[in-house]
Amino acid sequence: MSLLSPHKYLFRAGRSFQVHSSKIYVLQEPFQLTISTKLATASRTLSSSSQLGNVADSRTLISKLEPIERTSPQSQPVVELPVKPWEERLDNIDLNARLPRSVQALYLRPLRRKAEHGLPVCDLQLRSYSVRNLEFFADFALRAAYYLNLPISGPVPLPKIVERWTFPRSNFVHKKSQENFERITLRRLIQIKDGNSQAVQAWLAFLRKHAFYGVGMKANIWEYESLETAKNMDQALLEVEKNLEPHLSRFGRRETETSETEGSLSEFLGNERLSLNKGPLANARSG
Amino acid sequence: MSQFRAKKLDLSGFINSRIIRDHTKRKVFEQYEPERQALRYIIRNTTLPARARAQAQLQLSQMHAYTRSTQIKNRCVAGGIARSVIRDFRIARYQFREQALAGELPGVKKASW
Repeated sequence: MSLLSPHKYLFRAGRSFQVHSSKIYVLQEPFQLTISTKLATASRTLSSSSQLGNVADSRTLISKLEPIERTSPQSQPVVELPVKPWEERLDNIDLNARLPRSVQALYLRPLRRKAEHGLPVCDLQLRSYSVRNLEFFADFALRAAYYLNLPISGPVPLPKIVERWTFPRSNFVHKKSQENFERITLRRLIQIKDGNSQAVQAWLAFLRKHAFYGVGMKANIWEYESLETAKNMDQALLEVEKNLEPHLSRFGRRETETSETEGSLSEFLGNERLSLNKGPLANARSG
Repeated sequence: MSQFRAKKLDLSGFINSRIIRDHTKRKVFEQYEPERQALRYIIRNTTLPARARAQAQLQLSQMHAYTRSTQIKNRCVAGGIARSVIRDFRIARYQFREQALAGELPGVKKASW
């Protein structure tokens, strides 16, 4: 930006500057002379163009003009150099050498794979309080999915979550003066369709590794199995039950508790632990 | 109650006596929850002998107040205030206002609609 600023100057200074500069080129005078004429021309153009005629205004205009004047050689007459403006030079920068395709793709919309069957495999929800971060990260996720060969749909903008709070500004007496606060959570849904489950895992791991600040992620993953699954699960159930039995039998019990005290109700009810509320005076009162 | 209180301070952040007390209550409740639930189960189970159920009722009423869940009260982590504490931030309303205006709560802005 700092490099471009002289041109901005030119545009900002506006009509009066252009008139003045053209005068320099026409006259082809030494620098010291132009300064003396500058005062006159600047003030004249101001008064003629905007009907102000203010001395202070012309002064500020000249202070704006000066940095450009200094660049011109002092002793020689001002010569117009064939320097193109920055915008033009930047436009021509990629004429001879192009960027790598992958880098160039960053300037275009993210590429997508086509889904063959359209079976949803993974739902990734991104949440953030700022649109910029969210959009950026959603874009990043799309590109990562492309290079992992994952067909993707989205980002779908889900409804915003708006939370609002109202509080009195000070004590309860001043209930009439309250203040509202809000927090708007923005959401994007990215769905992966019929991708390889390992690739999906890799994608999610990659996104976690490169997690962006202020963007939260939540993923639902679905896996598809053969129709034999129910049968296999029934077969595996017996063994699972056997393994779980010792844990389930002790459900709701303390881990440190021994099996001896488990049984009797009367023992439990006479437990010292239950009547631990005996304070220092409880014994004195009873005795 | 001092018998339950930790001998060494086991809290950090904003601390006052009421916060320590509430913290102690939370710990005691967690510690005695299985007993309380067992007694409640005995009281409600109509298949058990009436004597045991009555005894369980007495035992439950005899248990220390700190073992009750109703003793626990949410307090502001930044100022210890017990009123108007916002659950999402665990901060009371004035602290919330100050922090929100200072931009310390992510995403919270002044609203106008």
